[in-house]
Amino acid sequence: MNGIQKKIWTLAAVVLFIMAAIWIALTYYNQKTQDQYNDILQRYLRMNEVTTASQQTVTSLNNYLLSPSRDNLSQLEQSKEKLRKARIDVIELRNPGNEFALTNYMNLIDSLVETTERSLTFQSEKETEASGNAFSEADRISKYISEMSLTLLDAELKTYDRFYRGIIEQSAELKKLGIWLLLLITFLLLLFTYAFSLSITRPVLKLTQAAKELSRGRFDLRIEVESNDEISFLAKMFDRMRININNLISEIQQKAQLENELQQSKLLLQESQLRSLQSQINPHFLFNTLNTLSKKAYLEGSEETSDLLASVAALLRYNLKRLDRSVTLYDEVRVLRQYVEIQKARFTERLRFHTDIDESCLYVQLPGLTLQPIVENAVIYAIEPEEDGGEIWFRIVDGADRVTVEIEDDGPGMAEERIRQILEERPVESEGGHTTGIGLGNVVRRLRLFYGCDDVIAIESGRERGTKVRLSIPKARESGKHDQASDRG
Amino acid sequence: MRKTVILLLGLAGVALFYFTFVSAGKVFRSDWQLPQSPGEKQARYRLVLITQELETPFWGKVGAGALEEAERVGASIEVWGSYGKNREDFLKKIEIAIDSKVDGIIVQGLDAEEFKQLTKVKAAFYGIPIVTVANDVPMADSLRRTYVGSNQYLAGQLIARQLLSDMGSTGKVVLLGDSRREYYQQQRINGIYDVLKEYPNVLTEYAETTDAREQVISATQDLMNRLPDVQAFVAVNANTAEAMIQEIGRRSRVEPYHIYSFDDSHDSMSLLKQGKLDGVIEQSPETMGRISVNLMTEWLSGETVPLDSNGYFTEIRMLKAADER
Repeated sequence: MNGIQKKIWTLAAVVLFIMAAIWIALTYYNQKTQDQYNDILQRYLRMNEVTTASQQTVTSLNNYLLSPSRDNLSQLEQSKEKLRKARIDVIELRNPGNEFALTNYMNLIDSLVETTERSLTFQSEKETEASGNAFSEADRISKYISEMSLTLLDAELKTYDRFYRGIIEQSAELKKLGIWLLLLITFLLLLFTYAFSLSITRPVLKLTQAAKELSRGRFDLRIEVESNDEISFLAKMFDRMRININNLISEIQQKAQLENELQQSKLLLQESQLRSLQSQINPHFLFNTLNTLSKKAYLEGSEETSDLLASVAALLRYNLKRLDRSVTLYDEVRVLRQYVEIQKARFTERLRFHTDIDESCLYVQLPGLTLQPIVENAVIYAIEPEEDGGEIWFRIVDGADRVTVEIEDDGPGMAEERIRQILEERPVESEGGHTTGIGLGNVVRRLRLFYGCDDVIAIESGRERGTKVRLSIPKARESGKHDQASDRG
Repeated sequence: MRKTVILLLGLAGVALFYFTFVSAGKVFRSDWQLPQSPGEKQARYRLVLITQELETPFWGKVGAGALEEAERVGASIEVWGSYGKNREDFLKKIEIAIDSKVDGIIVQGLDAEEFKQLTKVKAAFYGIPIVTVANDVPMADSLRRTYVGSNQYLAGQLIARQLLSDMGSTGKVVLLGDSRREYYQQQRINGIYDVLKEYPNVLTEYAETTDAREQVISATQDLMNRLPDVQAFVAVNANTAEAMIQEIGRRSRVEPYHIYSFDDSHDSMSLLKQGKLDGVIEQSPETMGRISVNLMTEWLSGETVPLDSNGYFTEIRMLKAADER
């Protein structure tokens, strides 16, 4: 049988049991009382019967003596028989209170019978006077019996006084018991019903609330229903459903994120490819021409120009090749130096470039063309606009688990708004056309994608305080890191 | 809040349970069983003590002594009787006792024809032994087995001697007797006469009256009119003493008179205490009851057969008003 049905049955059974118990007890009690009443009545009736029988005997005797017919004789015999029977019944009425009187009583009956017989005997012997005497004696005895009956009844009342009072008290007590019982049962039933209804409705209520929460879209609340019936089963199933839905949702979310990331990298790639294509109009031709120009300059004795051209060619080649692949810091630094050479040729004394490089940490990996765009940015904003140029510091400092690369200038600094734009990877209005093509935003995005963490780049700047870009490059780039980072969405 | 509610409900529940169970206990407890019929153990003998004067101190004591003794010897006894010397009732009780076939009847003797008829004829017919107690009826008249009680003749003598010592050997004495002339009173009078006849200077005047108050009063008046110089009264029937003293008191002071009586009336002792009676013969009613039951059971069981037909006398003594004070 299942839970709720069982509960209802149990309640019904309890009520039924209580009712049955009360019914049985009352019936038993009633029966007992009835028996006692019957006993008492029986006693009185028996005593009364003796009186009646004795009087009847005397009457019959009288009738017979007056007219000794067969009818009257048989009637006399009958009444005598009745008297004897009554006497036997009376024996059972014995108790310590009336023993003496009862014995006397029975003996009186005997005497009556004897006297009656004596009277009959005298009658048959025609001794009328003796017979009459015996009759008057019998009459007296009959009167004594009546009196004795009264005495016995009196004694009976005295003996049973306590008993009768007990009966009266008990019936009063029974009324009280009825009231108490009614109160008790009402109380218990109310209590049971309350507990019972609560045990059914509370789980339902909880379930309802859980369903409401679920319908509002909160899938993270546990559904707990403590009961031992179908509701708890329902709740368990419901909870399992919730967990399943929850899992499905998070899976979908992850997928969406992954897709999003993928989309972004794709866009980035397309952009850079487009740009490289744009700049590749004829890269090999340009590259070869530059080399030819370099040689020619060298042959014409203009060594400085030749070097400059060679640097431009190397930069161009690097630029073409290294965009979508990781390189060592060493390579980056080398390209950076060539770039600075080129810019120095342009700005001569106005560009003062200082380096402080810890050579021991040049092995770290980083995406290609990250440092050059930053320095280029510094040149564009800090050197170019100033008449007497500016200074650029480039430092590589070894840290515990990261290598810090700092590019600092003493230019006019960047606006806070712009720094935020760059760090939050928001699209910026296009810069001047004299860059190598890769903006600072692009660098930030690629660095973050590459290392999988946001704090890889930091920018400090203030009006007239210069700008300091700091890269914190992890020494060990774990293979799984990129995936983990993407998980967090 | 919740705890309080639970506590209150719990208390209510416990209280209800308690009261219900107490009530149920009261209803279903059956300690008021019907008195059970007594076991096989029945008393050896069923005796009846019948007196004419129930509820007087004297007969109360006789009854108490008899009940005590019956308890001791294992006989059952009931005290029956009439109130205030109701002769008819008394005789009826005797007849009932005989018809009830009791084992033995201890009875206050009544010197009357009906009584003798009952004891001599009817009781003898049923073979029921009769023992007289306190007041005797001669054996020849009543066929009693024996008599238990005071020696009334001796009691009379005792009174007479006391009278002589109080009054001296000269004077007039009134004896107030019962007109029914019961045997025991005759004995008392005989005792008194036998002592006084030695003293010729003591004149005795015998008068008879019934128990009835008016009769006693008129008899006393008459006596005092005839013998104005009477010095002493003896109420042979103790029941007449009170009315007699009252009448004397109406004429003069009671104290100068020497008045004597017996203790078998309910007001004898109070009169003695008031000093109105100068002397009372005190008998031993409890002993009478005890001995009578004892003798009856002994006779029934055949231990003492036959009983002494002269009777078994119990102790008597003179109680004087002077002693009581």
